[in-house]
Amino acid sequence: MAECSAMKESFPLLLTESLDAQTREASHLHIENCAKCADEWNGMKEAWRLMGELPELEPPARIKQRFLAEIGVAEQKTNVVPFHRRPAFKWLSQAAAVVILAGGSYFVGHRSQPIHVQPTGVASVERIPAAPIQPAAFSIAETRTIDAANINPNIEGRPDIQNVQFSDVDPNDDQIQLAFDVTQHVTVTGARNDKSMVRLMAYVMENEDRMSPTRSRAIDWVRQTYTPDKSTSPEIAQALAKVLRNDTHEGVRIKAVDALKTMPTTSGDTREALIAALKNDPNPAVRIKAVDALAKLAASGQLDSAAVDMLRQKAMQDDENVYVRTRAAEALGKIHP
Amino acid sequence: MNHLNDQELMRIVQGGDLSPASEIYDRYSGRIYNFAFRFLKNAEAAEDAVQEVFVKMIRHANQFHGDAKLSTWLFSITANWCRDYLRKADNKVKETEEVLISLPAPAEYGPDRTLEQRENEVRVQRALQALTPEQREAILLSRYQGLSYAEIAQIAGCSEGAVKTRVFRAMETLKKALTADTRGGDRWLNAVQ
Repeated sequence: MAECSAMKESFPLLLTESLDAQTREASHLHIENCAKCADEWNGMKEAWRLMGELPELEPPARIKQRFLAEIGVAEQKTNVVPFHRRPAFKWLSQAAAVVILAGGSYFVGHRSQPIHVQPTGVASVERIPAAPIQPAAFSIAETRTIDAANINPNIEGRPDIQNVQFSDVDPNDDQIQLAFDVTQHVTVTGARNDKSMVRLMAYVMENEDRMSPTRSRAIDWVRQTYTPDKSTSPEIAQALAKVLRNDTHEGVRIKAVDALKTMPTTSGDTREALIAALKNDPNPAVRIKAVDALAKLAASGQLDSAAVDMLRQKAMQDDENVYVRTRAAEALGKIHP
Repeated sequence: MNHLNDQELMRIVQGGDLSPASEIYDRYSGRIYNFAFRFLKNAEAAEDAVQEVFVKMIRHANQFHGDAKLSTWLFSITANWCRDYLRKADNKVKETEEVLISLPAPAEYGPDRTLEQRENEVRVQRALQALTPEQREAILLSRYQGLSYAEIAQIAGCSEGAVKTRVFRAMETLKKALTADTRGGDRWLNAVQ
């Protein structure tokens, strides 16, 4: 009995062929002569084989890009799709809408330098206070050109400077240019439904390529912060609908649907996004979540005939995932008992 | 770079030259991603794990002394990250459909993947989630990464004997979940989850 017990404990080592030849031989001999251990061994072998059914997944290429970007190493493979900077006007149109704060100072890479913020009543930027410097407008924007005369010559705090470029536009004059990306830590405070705050939140949710560590945290935050309340800006729901349509990651799209479910009012745009997700999303779990969200809309009297048609279509679609079909049928049953 | 071994690459990194980062990533990202994905049953978290493990590898390169394999060191960082992730209550996933959520879209599979294989895959994923995190960590490192009990013990911070017990208990649970007839196995899984 004790021998059987010790034998069973070594079965995993037998499966990985980690036992020495003598012990392996003795184990197999024991298995041949002990029905109970043979049964146990065959079961473990079968479980071990079934475990091999899990496919090896390729990590998405975006992880490597993010990793190399974070440590400041350029991607060397030539078959990688190059990153194209978006036209400035596109970014600026988003950024300009986000936060424009008069007063304060912009100061490249200098966390300990002051930014004086004139009160706007809607939002403010907090920086570590220090000696005052020349006031300048502050906006969250991608690029800006600053005269060296406006930069404090004392660079403190070892700012993280990347993507450095040097240029001398006109060799005949004394002017040179040094361009770089620099990380700043900016805190924006404002009321939940302040226009700038809402748009900043929407920007964070929608721009997965510029967010770290994960944009789904933004969605979690939105879900917790924007409680079912009629005063919640419809722009938040629109941003979530956009995430549902465009995000490449199914986990993020699922969170977007869950957050949409908690929104107080549902616009046509949101309904369409849910219907589109149910119709086209490649991940069955997202489609299931979309069914649930549409069913919830139905319960609150916000469902239109297009959504009901889509639920019906999904419930009857032969090549649809069985879980999605079942959930759609259940939802229809609740709508038309 | 690909002619250099892990230790040589890490020495270059320790000297302040990060150019081997890409090569090291290519060597280990697949293994790290699959381990984290199977451990956490969450593709998004697995992505975060991979990124953060490699960033940590670079930032703390001097903590790698070369007396252990680079793979063991990387799996130690990964396992720590995954344990921390699971400790956060919000990250516990229990719903049945979470299995579906975590699976890649069908388009990511080859066309030859049969429905039966997909079903088995879901059953294995569910069965793995029925294990304790310690058992899951041990069996994943043993079954899928081919690590020795000594290496797993180093990663898990326990004795080899403890690893042996964890792997055995894990296999017993998996046997019950996977080798009963489908309905019985599912019933068993539903009972333990």
